[in-house]
Order: sequence, then C-alpha cells, then structure tokens
Amino acid sequence: MSHLFNHNGAENTGYSQPTPLACETEPTVPQGLIRSNAARWPRLSEPEMVRHYTWLSKRNFGIDTGFYPLGSCTMKHNPRVNEVIAQLPGIADIHPHQPEHHLQGLLSIFYEMQHMLEVCAGMDQVTLQPVAGAQGEFTAIRCIQEYFRHRGEDQRTKVIVPDSAHGTNPASAAMAGFEIVEIPSLADGRMDLDALAAVADETTAAMMITNPNTLGLFEADIKAASEIVHQAGGQMYYDGANFNAILGITSPGLMGFDSVHFNLHKTFSQPHGGGGPGSGPIGVKAHLAPFLPGPLAARREPTGDERPSAVDEFWYHWHQPEHSIGKVQQWHGNAGAVIRCWAYYRRYGSGLKAMSEHAVLNANYLRHAIHREAKKAGVDHLFIDGAETDVAKHEFTLSMQPAKDALGISAMDVAKGLLDRGYMAPTVYFPLVVPECMMIEPTETESKDTLDTFAEHFAQVLKTDPEALHAAPITTPVRRVDEVYAARNLCLRHPYEE
Amino acid sequence: MIGCSPISGGLKQFIMSGTRMDFHIPTVRSVRAMVDQLPNRGREAEMLQEMGLSSMEDLFSDIPDDVRFKGELPLPGPQSEEEIISDARRLLGANADMGSRPSFLGAGLYRNYVPAAVFQLVTRGEFLTAYTPYQPEVSQGMLQAMWEFQTLISELVGLPIANLSLYDGSTAAAEALTCAVRVHNRKASQPNTVYVSALTPPDKMSVMHNYCQGAEIDIRTIAHNDDGTINMDSLKEAAGSCGVYLEQPNPLGVLDEGLTGVKAIIGEHTALIVGVQPVSLGVVEAPGHYGADIVVGEGQPLGSPVTGGGPLYGIFACTKPYLRLMPGRIVGRSIDVDGKEAYCLTLSTREQHIRRHRATSNICTNETLIALMGAMHMALLGPDGLRDLAHRNMMACQKAKEVLAATPGVRIVHDAHHFNEFAIEVQGSAAACLDYLDSNGIIGGLDLGRWYEGTTNQLLITTTDQTTLRDIESLSAQLALWAAHGEVSA
Ligand SMILES: Cc1ncc(COP(=O)(O)O)c(C=O)c1O
Repeated sequence: MSHLFNHNGAENTGYSQPTPLACETEPTVPQGLIRSNAARWPRLSEPEMVRHYTWLSKRNFGIDTGFYPLGSCTMKHNPRVNEVIAQLPGIADIHPHQPEHHLQGLLSIFYEMQHMLEVCAGMDQVTLQPVAGAQGEFTAIRCIQEYFRHRGEDQRTKVIVPDSAHGTNPASAAMAGFEIVEIPSLADGRMDLDALAAVADETTAAMMITNPNTLGLFEADIKAASEIVHQAGGQMYYDGANFNAILGITSPGLMGFDSVHFNLHKTFSQPHGGGGPGSGPIGVKAHLAPFLPGPLAARREPTGDERPSAVDEFWYHWHQPEHSIGKVQQWHGNAGAVIRCWAYYRRYGSGLKAMSEHAVLNANYLRHAIHREAKKAGVDHLFIDGAETDVAKHEFTLSMQPAKDALGISAMDVAKGLLDRGYMAPTVYFPLVVPECMMIEPTETESKDTLDTFAEHFAQVLKTDPEALHAAPITTPVRRVDEVYAARNLCLRHPYEE
Repeated sequence: MIGCSPISGGLKQFIMSGTRMDFHIPTVRSVRAMVDQLPNRGREAEMLQEMGLSSMEDLFSDIPDDVRFKGELPLPGPQSEEEIISDARRLLGANADMGSRPSFLGAGLYRNYVPAAVFQLVTRGEFLTAYTPYQPEVSQGMLQAMWEFQTLISELVGLPIANLSLYDGSTAAAEALTCAVRVHNRKASQPNTVYVSALTPPDKMSVMHNYCQGAEIDIRTIAHNDDGTINMDSLKEAAGSCGVYLEQPNPLGVLDEGLTGVKAIIGEHTALIVGVQPVSLGVVEAPGHYGADIVVGEGQPLGSPVTGGGPLYGIFACTKPYLRLMPGRIVGRSIDVDGKEAYCLTLSTREQHIRRHRATSNICTNETLIALMGAMHMALLGPDGLRDLAHRNMMACQKAKEVLAATPGVRIVHDAHHFNEFAIEVQGSAAACLDYLDSNGIIGGLDLGRWYEGTTNQLLITTTDQTTLRDIESLSAQLALWAAHGEVSA
C-alpha cells in the first residue's frame, strides 16, 4: 500500500516557490485570525508524489483499461485530442467576467454548441449553464415552474415520473418544490398510458421520462403520452441520458417534448473522470425560453462602431432571457467540458447519426452474442431478457433471477465474476423494475471482437461454481469490500491518532 | 432562438447553405474521419446478418414513422483530428487569455500556478476515463484518492467531515443553506429562514435562491459596516434562524476578525456556514476553529485553472450533526473479505439513487476529477507550501495596495486586512475606467457596479501568486493616466 499520510519528510514540499514580491510593510492577518495549527497535510517531494498517484491510478479501472459496459452511462472512448484542446490558454486561462470582445472564440463555440444541440433535439433554445444531468433536470423543472407561475397556474404542483426513472428525476423535481407522482410500468417494462391518463390533471406541471427508457426500449407510444400530458395542460420533460440511441434518427422535439437535458459527458464524450465533471445543457421550446438561466450566447451583424469578431462576420455577445430564473451555477457552466464536447461533435458533424446507429448495432449484437454463447455453454436458462423486444436500443437489460433461483447466483455475483475476467461490470440493480437486473451498454466504440469475447466470458461466468462466484473477485487489488463495515465503522478521513 | 436579433433568418440561412466560412465543408477524405471512432464500420453487414437483420434500418423498426427524422442532420460535415485542432486553435486563439496581459480579475476565481505534475497525472486514462466507483474492487485508486481528498479538506478547514465535491462554490453554499434548514428547522424560532451576507455576489445569491425556493426557505441579508466588517447588530437578527452564511475573506477581500464571535451570538441551533478561499487558510485560521458548523468554498484555486468558470469543484465540510443530512458522495475506509484495507462509497442512503425524491440532494455526477487535481496540488504543497502560497498571495496584494495608494486618483476603499483582493475607488465610472485599461492591454479587475448599488466607481482588484511587480506598475501608471484623462474630459 502507498499511503499519502505516511509521507512526512521534514522539509519536503513537492514544488518550491519563487520569493514573494517585496513590500514596504509586511501584510498581517488580524490577531484573532492567525492560523493556530497548520493543516496536518503530508510532506512529499515531487518524485514521491508522482509515484503515489501513479500507484493509485494502477488500482483504478477506466475505459482505457478495458471494456466498460456500464448501462445508462455511455462509456464511450474519449478522444485524446479533446484533452489537448481543453488545455489551450484560450479556454484554460480565461475568466468568465472578461469583456465580450475578449471571449469571441468562446462565445462562438458556445453559440455553435447551442445551435447543434437545438438541431439534434428539435428544440428552440439551449443553455449550456447546467453542469450535470441532474442539474439540467432541476433547471428545466425550475423553468417550467416559473412558466406556470407566470401564467397564474400555481396549482400545478405535481411532477409525474415512471417507476423506472433514474433517481435524479424525482430528486430534482422535489428539490424544486414539486410533489412526485410515480406511475408503474407495464409488465414488459414499457410506460403505462392508462396509468398516466389516470393521474394527469390540472395539478400536473410536468412528466419526466427518458426514451429509450431505462430498460433500453423505445416507447412507441411516446406521442400519445405527450398528448395526454399536454391535454391536461402539463409540460413534457425528456431525460437525455439515453440520447446516444437516437441522434439523427428521432428527437425529443418530434416526440412532443417541451424540454430536454443532455448529458454531454455521456453522448458527447466528456471524460467522466471517476465521477465528474459533466455538463448538462438543457434545450426548451420557445414558450419556455424566456425563463432559461442566463446568459446565453447570441450573435448579430455588427452595428454602429462594432467590428466583426476575430472569428467570422458576426458579433458574439451574451444575452439575458427576459424572465430568467437566474443562475444555477455561478459562471457560464462547465465551459471546459463544453469545449471538449464541441471537439467531439466536430468529428461527426452531420454524420452524428452513424454514431447512434453503431451504438444500437453494438447493443443488439452483444445481446445476440450473449444469448448465442450462453446457449453454446448450456447456461441460457440462467437469465432472461429484462424486457421482451425484437430490437433493443443502445442498451439492454438481463434479469439474473433464474440463476438466483436455480443456483443462488445473484446479479452482483455475475458482476464480480466479470471483474475477475478483466471487464468493468454492467450496471446492476437498476432499473428497479427488473429483478436481479444487469444493464448492459457497450457503446459504439467497441469492436465486434471485443463484444464476442465478452459474450463468451459472460457465459463462462455463469458456468462457474456458485461458491467460487460468491468469492469473486480474486484477481482485483482488493476482494469484495464490506460496505456494511464501512457504514458501521465510519472512517471518513485519515485517523491521525492511530 | 431568442435574443439574437436577425436570428430566425440567420439560422435558416446557416442550415440551408451549410457553406459558412468558419465551418468545414465535407470532402470525401473527411467523411472517413469518423472511422477512427467506430471500429465496426465496414462490419455492419456481417453483424446484422448474424442477427438475422438485413439493414441498419431494421434496428430502428420500433421507432414509429411519425417521430422519424427525415434526411441528414442539417449540420456541417465531419472533420479529421487535424482539422478540429486547427479550428480550435483559431477560435480559442480569438479569446484574450489572462496570461497574455496583466490581469487583476478574480472575484471568486483565482489563477494560481498549478504544478505540471498535476496535469500529467490527472490525464492518466485510469483516472480520466473511469465512471463513479460503483465497483469498489476495481476503483480503489480513485476511492483512496478521494478519501485522502476528504482528509486534506477536513484538515484545511478544521472540521471532521468532508464530502468528495459538489459542482462549484455557489452550489456548495446553496446546498449548505438547505442542509442547515433540514438540520435545524424543528428547533428554530425562525423556521425556514437563513441569513446571508449582503456582500454575497449576486450570481451566487441567485444560485442560492434557485436551490432554496423549492423548500420555501426565506433568505434574508446581514449588513456590513463601512469598513467591510460584519455589522453585529444586524447579525443579532439571525439568532434563532436555521443558518448564517458569511465569507472569509469576504467578497471584497477583507479578513474579518468579527467572524470569530458569530457563533456565540447566533447560538447552538443556528448553523454557522463560512465560505472560504481555500488558499487563504495557509495563514488564516480554519473556520472550524472559530465555531463554523459547515465550511464551503470554491476549490478551484487549489489544483485547477480558471477555465472560463468551469469545471470547478465545490468544497463541503461539516461537523457530525450534519453528516446524515449533508449532500454529495462520501468515501469510507473499510476492509475486504480478507480483512485487507479497502475503500468504498458510504452513507449512500442520503443519495438520489436510493432515497429518490427524499434524497438530501439531486447531485449524481459531481466534480471528482477536479477534486483529484486539488488533492494532487495539496499533496505537492504540503503545509509549508500552502503557507508560502498564501503568503505570496498576500504579499502581492499588499504590494498592489501600497502602489495604488500612492497612485493619483485612486483610493483604497477599506482600511482593513486583505487577503488577495481589495476594492478601490477610481475617478468617474468604473466601467469606463475598465474600458480604458483594456484598451491599454490591462484586465483591470471587476466593476463593482455589477454587484452592488452605489459602487459604480469601484473596482475589485485581485492579485495572485502570478501577479508581477511589472503588472502592478503598469496598472498604477494607467490608472494615473486615467485620472488625468478623466479630468481632461470632465
Ligand atoms: C437515466 C439517467 N438520468 C439522469 C442521470 C443524471 O445525470 P448526471 O449524473 O449527469 O447528473 C443519469 C446518470 O447518471 C441517468 O443515467
């Protein structure tokens, strides 16, 4: 083990600093505010620090390490040029409060990204300010709330979410002050229109739903759902976490949605960084646009003594929406993430549809290959599809309930068995509506060979002696971690006193 | 589209023509560009055939025709990596980066030097391309790094508990307010009420309003004295509320000793929330040592460039009574089945994926990688390095104060202890003065008229470890000229 807090070289610092500017009088901290005890930080020289973090990195699994079929997370390859671009001083070293004429490049890229997302989603106006999907949800729901307040429809206090929804949907709506109405899914995992019709009324502010849904199924009745909600006077909100399945094929606009968030860190390849950062822009139809958080990037032909930007013939500027809800992040959102995603988008341009086609091709192929290999290995009776369907979209679910019933093998056991074989495990136990669920999303950036080999390994895991599988993983840096112990013996920081 | 006057016309023209100068026109060569991201291009037929399908179309047979996109997306064609980077250089090159000229703009974001090792290590694919550590056995690296981050922050602010980041300083402050209400509302004599320094920058205040309105939390303000310190009479009104939010240094750079007496006034059942500039804590007392219950802040000055305002990371630390109602992910140290030291996410029953609409926050994706950059920077600094860095910030600030105090037409607004920024009064309007400085190649700080009423002749001047004597002298010389020029035009 390498422990950061074991490093305590008496004089060490990982980088020595130049001497401060000389002053006539030494600046002071008020007497009662002088730091009494220095933080007990470690003391490392640079070589020690580099070795520690390199050691840690080797105990971590990323897309670069191996196949990462984590459903709902769209773990596609992150092109490296995007990282190079994000370090250019024109993005790394700019301040959001610099005057517009210092930021023409940033504004033009923001404008281009807003426009691109508007086109892809069939929305009228996009803001890039929200910094993650959940914040996008919250922002859009806030806009809908202000929209209704503006119209004097304050009685719309409820938001409808299907029981298969991601946890952030109800959490975001509740944070904005809404009551949550959960509707059950049909036995096949699809949305229940009757259940929706039964709850949609004059108290409905919005319905939040993702399509394809969290089981990877396209909700063919989506337009009917939009009509039900609209007829009740409510708004439709599209959770864009699954956008990778439909880009260039259909759009939230075509399905009748009024608002949408994008997870740029999924669909547009902002690296997920072990948990973040992300970027969660939202798009809305014109009637919600005046409520968006500001400012937005806009452009016009130069007038008066304005000169065209250094970028093109337009003048780029910030624009404050008329009835803006205000801000959800203090600045302009995760600009650095937006730049990476812009670089990613430029790679496909009008060809973004190919990205979604290949994502869906790979998901369906993997589903097929898993069934094929399981049959060959004689373990096809140990799982069933999470939902019956001819074609899945960019991801699919399997229920390991039969394995559990027959052999006591849980979805978690299978997940740990896959770790031993050098794979990241699929998402497990989500969505909650599929028992012993494994949710598998290969993304478009995996080769057929990778998918075939994974399918073989998946079948082999199911052939493993159940006892051995309960003990998996055995090849990883640590074996199964005791989460109950962690919660009962809370140790949330280095215990110096030991 | 809104707000861009000739918009709809301009937009259509753009979509139709597809030949705008700044966008790439597709060529046969660049259509191949996307092949480098799609390993199965050329193998579609083989894969489809195996599934018993005959075309890519068959994969989308479940999508009804009436919601189908017809034709190609009206966007410019694909580009190769070389074309993309060349466009990126051209477009981003049109921005004026702060390193290209003397800059005194901070106001919440600070350009400290970030050591090279941080960038080199953080872009290792094992960190960069991982998701949230849901499978702890293969995520020990990031989990341990975040547990270490929690320790570094906990030590820095003097509180026992820290999470592994929120989105930024503003959402951390906003979530601290809602957390304070969750914890104290039952016993509060002013339920659903929090008090916030009147100096809080309006953009941050706006985030607070958005986060608080859902729980119907009333945000009231606390006044400050003319010298920038907190007004104790005004503060007294906050007793019995759920929480008080103050910054140290305050948004005008003033170090306020008065904060050490706040907890005694507001009492046990009102949370003292202190917003910090983390670098200052190398020399300034940790708020945990003067009664803070929650400490929040913008982590960016430790580990990250300013990056146009994001990605950043929000610091959130607290005492034990807040633990089970706090927002954000937390790593705990545990053991594996062999009893070996191991790390995992813990206390997740507070979070949205389990608690859904009753979660303490909706946050899921956070800012882990930027927090990791922070941890790396902190590890390199060590306690002495942090003290030196804080000292350099203060020395640059002091130097700027000394030089500007002697500059004709400039007045230092607060006779106070400052950390790394301070307000000055200039002749005429601050906005016009900023334009003048800009036309002479200087980013002159923040026009405080953007933040407050009655301060349209004030600038907030920020210095960091990157500020040089020449920067300060140029600013002084130009401000003197502005004063003279202002007199001429008056
Ligand atoms: C279906 C779905 N909705 C919403 C979210 C929330 O997005 P984020 O993690 O960016 O906040 C996620 C991602 O975790 C998701 O999978």
